[in-house]
Amino acid sequence: MAVTRTSSVPDMVVLSGELWQELLKLVTAQYKVIGPVRRGSEHVFAPVKDPRDIDMAYVTTILPPKKVFHQPFQVLFSFDTEEGTLAEEESGEEKVLWGIHPCDMHAIAILDKVYGIEYPDPYYLRNRENTIIVAKNCTEVGENCFCLSMGTGPALRSGYDLLLTDLGGRYLVEVGTEKGRKLLSGLELVPAPRVVLVEKEKRLSQARQKFKKRMITQGIQELLEENFRHPIWEELMRECLACGSCTMVCPTCFCYNVVDKIDLDLKTGKRQREWDSCMLLEYAQVALGQNFRRDRDARIKQRIYHKLLYYEPQFGTLGCVGCGRCIGACVKRIDITDVVSRLAESVESDR
Amino acid sequence: MINPFKPEIAVITEVFKETSDTTTYTFRFKDEETRETWSFEPGQFNMITVFGIGEAPISISSAPSDTGFVQHTVRHVGNVTNALAKKKPGDVVGIRGAYGTGWPFHQLYGRNVLIVAGGIGLAPLRPVIREVMRQRDRFKEVEVLYGARTPGDMLFVREFPEWSEYVKLRLTVDTVPPGVKWDHKVGVVTTLFSEMSSQPSNTVVLTCGPEIMMKFVVRGLLHMGFSPDRIYVSMERRMHCGVGKCGRCQIGPRFTCKDGPVFAYEELAALPEEVLGGVGR
Repeated sequence: MAVTRTSSVPDMVVLSGELWQELLKLVTAQYKVIGPVRRGSEHVFAPVKDPRDIDMAYVTTILPPKKVFHQPFQVLFSFDTEEGTLAEEESGEEKVLWGIHPCDMHAIAILDKVYGIEYPDPYYLRNRENTIIVAKNCTEVGENCFCLSMGTGPALRSGYDLLLTDLGGRYLVEVGTEKGRKLLSGLELVPAPRVVLVEKEKRLSQARQKFKKRMITQGIQELLEENFRHPIWEELMRECLACGSCTMVCPTCFCYNVVDKIDLDLKTGKRQREWDSCMLLEYAQVALGQNFRRDRDARIKQRIYHKLLYYEPQFGTLGCVGCGRCIGACVKRIDITDVVSRLAESVESDR
Repeated sequence: MINPFKPEIAVITEVFKETSDTTTYTFRFKDEETRETWSFEPGQFNMITVFGIGEAPISISSAPSDTGFVQHTVRHVGNVTNALAKKKPGDVVGIRGAYGTGWPFHQLYGRNVLIVAGGIGLAPLRPVIREVMRQRDRFKEVEVLYGARTPGDMLFVREFPEWSEYVKLRLTVDTVPPGVKWDHKVGVVTTLFSEMSSQPSNTVVLTCGPEIMMKFVVRGLLHMGFSPDRIYVSMERRMHCGVGKCGRCQIGPRFTCKDGPVFAYEELAALPEEVLGGVGR
């Protein structure tokens, strides 16, 4: 990413000990920070007041950072049932999204396309513009991670405002944009020698060795197109509970429902959109009860085909970034990488 | 930034009950500039809001050359459409649009046009018929096949005499209740194929109705030699945004709201049949 220097903050610095703590203190004091925080045995992205609450060693979070931009509940406008829409207030508070992983950054880049094209979505884009993204390369790999095979990790190349890499007790900080550089401006910094990039690469190639899961992406589109009626879908139908958990935790899922919430005076209210899931029965139901995806296998296929086949013509990219959250969230342990492998194997053995 | 989710305010100026469950509403945008600049293509739809109830996609049933107002013919079958049934002239609704692809109207110039509609499916085709009437010389033979459940369920009956001066109109109903006089055909809309005068050569087909009807219409016409690349269908799906964001209306890789609702038949025929909702299984 091209960087034009406007201040004395160098493009690349190494922070350790006190300087690192000072950066965290400065940022949390100046901005609303949303970062990885431990909750019981899991992690979530949550507002951070005390920098000590940030857990940089997190592997994954329950919900992806998508929720900061495409919010689970978003008020579209207020209305009066007799008059129509009412004037709305805009909030322009600048936030910092701290420590997101490359897979989630890639997912945000996909959502930028979904919400940015044709009829740009003002709510998503407003949240996006107001947020400074500090990403973190992955030097540790979770049991469900398969970003390496999707080409979305463990190292990030673009999209971030600042990029962190854990070099063991000290952090390499790379500036991606002027928005990111701003975060470093209160510190006394010296440029890092280019040789730290060797150390960075070493850590990242070590991480690449740790992946246990991979998605077969070669020929995946033909594989899916040619196997729409494969028996595997019926097997999955018997497994899957159609609970929608996989879609709720997905960083690229964008579907929503819209509801009018009426106030107690029965006169005014708010129109709100809420995350929805193609795995749920009502999703494709229209008036008079007709449902275009009543059968569970149709909904399972919709999810998998959308992610791995339909995003491409729609947005010019695969719809999966290999974060593995859907695998972890599934109560029946359905694994999208395993589904594709089994499909590929059965086709191979039929040849 | 323009907010595509905020509807324009429109006032109901006229309510006409077409049948026991279907009403044609005439709306007038409150904002003068919108009223003067707003335009659409035949076959497009609007998202209509009943504030406090919700929003639903409804096709436009007036013609682009009907200026100063817009009409929607609504069958009262869901939350929003049932709430609309309680509205009267002077009441306010929200309208945003027009969205989606229209019928390939300019492709119809110099050609024969065959329109096949079932039930409420005639509503998005009325703009085509009205435009054909106003620009009659630009088209060759124009024939309309229309089927409904019973004679009492037929829409736009009051306009049929005028339509018949410009286009060949053939009607059929599924059943005729006892005591009702009916001079036309009885049976599904494809039973009209045996008596229609339309020929495959140089004819464009536009069809809208229940998916199962369109399936048999297309199958029948292909069998008779109509060209698959000149058949257009209008699809119904659940929609909550109209602009390709909410995801609800997807048919395979297509968004019905922006890639449709009018699709070239061949575009859908390329997809596995189950993607269309399995109506044919």
